Amino acid sequence: MDYIGEHSLFAFLGRASVAMAFAGAIATVFFYGLYFIGSKKNSEKSSGLKSAGRLSFGAHSLGVLGTIIILFVALFNHWFEFDYVWRHSSLDMPMKYIASCFWEGQEGSFLLWTTWHVILGWVLIGTSKKWEFGTMMLLAMVQVFLVSMILGIYIGDFKIGSSPFILIRELPENIGLPWTEIRDYLIRLPSLRDGQGLNPLLQNYWMVIHPPTLFLGFASVTIPFLFAITGILEKKYYEWVVPALPWTFFGISILGTGVLMGGAWAYEALSFGGFWAWDPVENSSLVPWLTLVAAGHLMMIVKHKKSAPATALFLTILSFILVLYSTFLTRSGILGETSVHAFVDLGLNGQLIAFLGFFSIGSLLIYLLAWKKYPKSPSEDAFSSREFWMFIGSLTLLLSAAQITFSTSIPVLNKLIGPDGLLPVLNNPMAPPVDAAKHFNSLQIPFALIITALLAFGPFLRWKETPKKLITRLLPSVIITLVISVLSIWGLKLYDPLYAALLAVSIFGLISNADYWLRIVRGRWTTGGMALAHIGFTLVLIGAVISNGKKEAISTNATYIHEDFPSNENILLPLNDTVSMYPYYISWRNERKEGHNRVFDIEFYETEKPSTWNDFERQELKPVFTLHPFIQMNDRMGNVREPSTMHFWNKDIYTYISYADLRPLDEKNGDWADPMEAILESGEEVFLFNKYLLYCDTLNVQNASINEISGEIEHLDLNLDLILKSMDGRQTAVVLPYHLDGNEAHTSEVIIEEEGMKLRFDGVASAEGKFNITAWEKKDNEPPFVLMQAFIFPYINLLWLGSILMGLGTLLAVWKRVYRAINESKK
Amino acid sequence: MKKTQIILLGVIAIMIGVLLVTLEDASVYATFEIADKQKPEAVTVVAKLDLDSPIHFDPTTSLLTFNAIDKEGHSREVIYNQPKPLDFERSEEITLTGHSVSEGFIATEILMKCPSKYTNEEGIDTLGIYTQNI
Repeated sequence: MDYIGEHSLFAFLGRASVAMAFAGAIATVFFYGLYFIGSKKNSEKSSGLKSAGRLSFGAHSLGVLGTIIILFVALFNHWFEFDYVWRHSSLDMPMKYIASCFWEGQEGSFLLWTTWHVILGWVLIGTSKKWEFGTMMLLAMVQVFLVSMILGIYIGDFKIGSSPFILIRELPENIGLPWTEIRDYLIRLPSLRDGQGLNPLLQNYWMVIHPPTLFLGFASVTIPFLFAITGILEKKYYEWVVPALPWTFFGISILGTGVLMGGAWAYEALSFGGFWAWDPVENSSLVPWLTLVAAGHLMMIVKHKKSAPATALFLTILSFILVLYSTFLTRSGILGETSVHAFVDLGLNGQLIAFLGFFSIGSLLIYLLAWKKYPKSPSEDAFSSREFWMFIGSLTLLLSAAQITFSTSIPVLNKLIGPDGLLPVLNNPMAPPVDAAKHFNSLQIPFALIITALLAFGPFLRWKETPKKLITRLLPSVIITLVISVLSIWGLKLYDPLYAALLAVSIFGLISNADYWLRIVRGRWTTGGMALAHIGFTLVLIGAVISNGKKEAISTNATYIHEDFPSNENILLPLNDTVSMYPYYISWRNERKEGHNRVFDIEFYETEKPSTWNDFERQELKPVFTLHPFIQMNDRMGNVREPSTMHFWNKDIYTYISYADLRPLDEKNGDWADPMEAILESGEEVFLFNKYLLYCDTLNVQNASINEISGEIEHLDLNLDLILKSMDGRQTAVVLPYHLDGNEAHTSEVIIEEEGMKLRFDGVASAEGKFNITAWEKKDNEPPFVLMQAFIFPYINLLWLGSILMGLGTLLAVWKRVYRAINESKK
Repeated sequence: MKKTQIILLGVIAIMIGVLLVTLEDASVYATFEIADKQKPEAVTVVAKLDLDSPIHFDPTTSLLTFNAIDKEGHSREVIYNQPKPLDFERSEEITLTGHSVSEGFIATEILMKCPSKYTNEEGIDTLGIYTQNI
């Protein structure tokens, strides 16, 4: 049957592209893999296989490209018959967020990851020379799994992948429903004229650039892994680090930037109250970065000293496995109760476990089977050698990663050994630590202390052995550090011992690396990468320590409730009142609608510093800035409160509305409330709302007709005359109508505007000669208010500056290696 | 002993220490009954909001009081000294972190699961088509 208006051709082409990408990946594995079977010496055979492999990878790349293009076309043209388009976009969405729609769903983000692998794959083909067979075979294996996630085919009842090109009428839950048989269902179904829209949380420019960066980071963790496994397979236990190193630093740079961008997004768009919340999703992307940094440093040891490669191999493999594990955690829905931003479960768990299982078990087997063959270090590392301390640092990074992984994996542990798990050991399911920040900080700060101390003096050490007199070169840094640390800890009043220690050590790292680079090696650019990356890292820590340790809630509510409730951090802002919020005076000026957003304008004032007592008496408020925290209203996905931040060079003022009356603006003023019933008879008075006396005068029968046959009342109009007396003597006459039509009673409400009262005559009461009346009082002009939280984050800009320097530094380290490789090949 | 062995031992020791601290810090998913038994220790309770009893929010003190029903069907008054979360009434499930006191349960953190936050489980509204078909 031909459906009217449906773009089924594109759906078909999309699926065909996915199929081509899948088949291309399998063919790539096959042709590159053949090289490893039989004799490898035959160069004729290998060049044929190489061409076949490249051709297959080309087909795979075309398939992936086609898939992306068709999905984008469908999103751009709002073809809501596609389930993916319907689910993730809507007509009123700004075009700039189309990209976010693309990767909001699991299918799109898998596709994004696949795409980066394709691009990096072509770079590998162009640069890896004799490594091409192994690395491309393994990369294509990863691609087989990734593309299978968007295949969307059924084998029996088993679903393989979830296709972004499935039409809504083809969804399993809709198959067989009558509307799917109608040719023009697209015109008839009103709900298909607009999509569900993008989650408002993701309608933020960070969400346009953060996912591609993060996935490029993930993709670049894959490449060192490919070299490591190929190195083991081809018994090149040392050589693999040379091509793997630049990729590793590239991965450190991009993944690190991606993770911190996620933090920036959380800081800008979420009301977490900070840039890092130790959320499982954040953690699981940080962990591979930590192990990758460790792997990179271990690779340098292997390269410089030809020492035992076993740990470098292990950490490189582990980093990739952790990326897969992170994918599993965030996409399987297992985090459900513990994270605010995990993906929705798509029923791909089996496949995700297979993906994780295949590569972790497979690569660990390859790694362990070759264990005996790994070269051993010729000698023990000396205490004064750079490699010894680098090794300790890498182990510390590994421990830090292990701790984060363990705490984040509590939901997984529940599935394994919880009461409903595979092996019920626990009586009650475990829950994540109650205070996540406290838990992670108390364990991670000691690790950070060790790592930072090592990166502070590490550069001053030499490979193999450091002469004693060279160590004295550290002395200037130590002295400067002592002075600056004492001054800054004292100046900031940062007296928490762990925070203060971390601040001092980070300052040490900053100064010693700058000193080493600028003084000792005279600003040589080949050392610049290392120095800049280390300086960036220490700045990130300094920014994090100060902004977290000295984060100050300036919005406080001093009302004492109970000792269990310390005065909390929400300030009550009645409209147009000026409230003191040290060091500012603030005033909520206005509430307005802006698109989907309900924006609250908060004006900040400062007082001029009084110089004399007279000035103090007459001090004036002068407006300094206005912030616009808002609440994004979304009927379908829930309302989101978004912060507004004033950036100064040395601090941020971060605010968000923590509570507001979100009814439509025109509905808000005046509400009839507290209905009260009164029963009274003629001549009786009753007290209403402690403010009024209601006097019942007489009941008038206006109109009545009686059915002559049955003798029942056919029609009756009654008017009850009342007098409403207010306390100050005003009297208002009120007439309440009551109308009976056969058996049907009609009552109507009478509003006495000037008294703020509404009355209704409900009929004759069961007691003889009494009448039922309901009264409402107008609860108006309860002055509108909002609750707001405001924090000062001091020196948070150091953190952002640090992230940029770290990214640039590691990229410089990549360039140094690429530059050398180019120069060597020229010789 | 060789240096590598000492390092290895150190690593294992730290690993075990960290593991123990983590287990110590981890709370349990509990019911209100377990929370009562373990008071004043903090626990995490997965519960449902009781919509039949009043939900009261006092903005001047930002104190929220409501009743929640845990998975075993026990109801408890919950006190939360933070502004009422947005869409609180629409929540399908709430995860309360806090501890029991004799008067009820004091929550320090509330995580909500809203049915419509990320997906629309109702799917396509097909009502329109039938009315238009007739």
